[in-house]
Amino acid sequence: MPAPLLITFDKVWKSYGQGEARVHALAGVDLAIRRGEFVAIMGPSGSGKSTAMNIIGCLDTPTAGTYSFMGVDAGRLDRNRRAQLRNLYVGFVFQGYNLLPRTTAAENVELPLIYRGAPARERRELAMQALAEVGLVGREHHTPAELSGGQQQRVAIARAIVTRPTLLVADEPTGNLDTARTHEIMELLTRLNADLGLTIAMVTHEADVAAYAGRTIRFLDGHVASDTLNAEAA
Amino acid sequence: MIWETVRLSLRSIRRNVLRSFLTLLGIVIGVAAVIAMLTIGSGTTQKVKADISKLGSNLLVVRAGRPAGPGGPGGLDQAVRPLAEKDVTALVAHLSGARAISPASQKQVRVIFGTESLTSGVTGTDSAYLDARDWKLVSGRPFSDSETRSGTGVCLIGETVRQQFFGAGDPEGEIIRVNRTSCKIIGLLEPKGYTGFGQDQDNVVLMPLHAYQRRIAGNRDVDNIYIAADDRTPTSELQPRVEDILRDTRRVTPDRDPDFAIRDMTQIADAMASATTTMTGMLGAVAGVSLLVGGIGIMNIMLVSVTERTREIGIRLAIGAHEKHILIQFLVEATVLSLLGGIIGILIGLALAGLASATLTIPFAPSPAVILLAVGFSALIGMVFGFFPALRGARLDPIDALRHE
Repeated sequence: MPAPLLITFDKVWKSYGQGEARVHALAGVDLAIRRGEFVAIMGPSGSGKSTAMNIIGCLDTPTAGTYSFMGVDAGRLDRNRRAQLRNLYVGFVFQGYNLLPRTTAAENVELPLIYRGAPARERRELAMQALAEVGLVGREHHTPAELSGGQQQRVAIARAIVTRPTLLVADEPTGNLDTARTHEIMELLTRLNADLGLTIAMVTHEADVAAYAGRTIRFLDGHVASDTLNAEAA
Repeated sequence: MIWETVRLSLRSIRRNVLRSFLTLLGIVIGVAAVIAMLTIGSGTTQKVKADISKLGSNLLVVRAGRPAGPGGPGGLDQAVRPLAEKDVTALVAHLSGARAISPASQKQVRVIFGTESLTSGVTGTDSAYLDARDWKLVSGRPFSDSETRSGTGVCLIGETVRQQFFGAGDPEGEIIRVNRTSCKIIGLLEPKGYTGFGQDQDNVVLMPLHAYQRRIAGNRDVDNIYIAADDRTPTSELQPRVEDILRDTRRVTPDRDPDFAIRDMTQIADAMASATTTMTGMLGAVAGVSLLVGGIGIMNIMLVSVTERTREIGIRLAIGAHEKHILIQFLVEATVLSLLGGIIGILIGLALAGLASATLTIPFAPSPAVILLAVGFSALIGMVFGFFPALRGARLDPIDALRHE
């Protein structure tokens, strides 16, 4: 029996501008991602993949069509509702890590829990646990400036998973890393996908990074150009 | 959550120490100015009130010359007819409701003891003077009636005179020279301190009126008549009676202006106290304007801070912060900033007021209400001027904010 649907795009349009200058970043996209999938999203710049990711991560809403997340019509929710949705169910990993500067690794990881109103002791414990899961024991009190790129990305991943989200949205998570570090981070994501059943949607430019995922979706000119299962997962 | 936010804002303030300090300066100066002004002002008011009551409470003072009024200053269009002893005698005989009536004539005169000399306010008066002015003797005795009548060379000295000539020693029985006459000290006056105008009230020598008139002034004039009302009679009631009696003895018909002036010290005290209060309020208001300027400084720096931390705001929004979380974060930061400025300002203001009260010899009168108000007001300024920048941060679109370099 296939896993339940987590994400569905039903004729999703995202348009900018008015009249002649109107541009469609997404032009009627249909898409479905099931729980527990690891999906790589590829495509040239301007293909609509970033827009699709923003909608998947509940950061943005479609101009037309329906985006449903966990069965909720997330495209119709207001800012604060979507913020709550993100806080409860979505973790983010960015290309540039996006850690708070001059703030220790542990404090960075605690951040999403603060907006949940979790008590300090619980926050600390969960943060330590998440840092241990990404292999950063002993680095809890280092600030981003004292960590390597790979370590910073691990902190970012710890921050993304500390809330036990359903979905991890990763925007070129290895874009700033060398091959060895890329491999480590992708191993980590693969393990989280397998061990925690974490659904992962990851944008990447590189085919060998996309190969870690079970499925690859290619965007072109606001449409899904191809949607294939990867060999080893198939 | 709120404590978390306060800690966060303290950290961000610490991160930009110089910038935060410069921002604070506006608030610090504003609050310090307000606190210093109001504290010094209320000290001055207290001092003025105390000074006037030192002159004697419920006191009327009569002097020669037309009363100052809407017609211009006390008229010198004709020779002023001085007060004389018969005016005093008439008051003593006819005035009811007075506790003490005393003539007094004053002059600055050089006083000598041994090789030391001092220019002192020498007053010729009688034994009722001490009562009228609420002045007590530390030691010795007042003039006797016979000494007053005969103009014997005896005197009472103030604390300053004693210190100049005798240090801490006992001056009684010593002979000092006042002008060219000698004078035996029979008593020491209780110290009164300085007036609000910096005049030393203890640098005085009192002697019998006749002795003063004959040996110092060389005339039979009385400069002032002091009239202390008794406890049941308000000075406002006493004043017209005094005027009636003096018009009678000085033969001033009711259709003419009197050639003497009666000053009510209680009214003067009230007037001066209210003048100081008004002055204090105005200075405080002027100082308050600098608080406004300080608030604009806070708004400016908070706008810079929000722009600088756009990316941080983007991260926070992405991982689930609500608009209100961002709003509160920056609002708390602005409030903590200006509250910090307020507290520093209060300390500096109190220090300034303390310094001023030490040099001006006025009482140090910090008011808890004013301090509390300053704390509340500086917090309010932070909230008001921090609101717009905070709202701007809270309204950012997370996608744009994350893209911000």
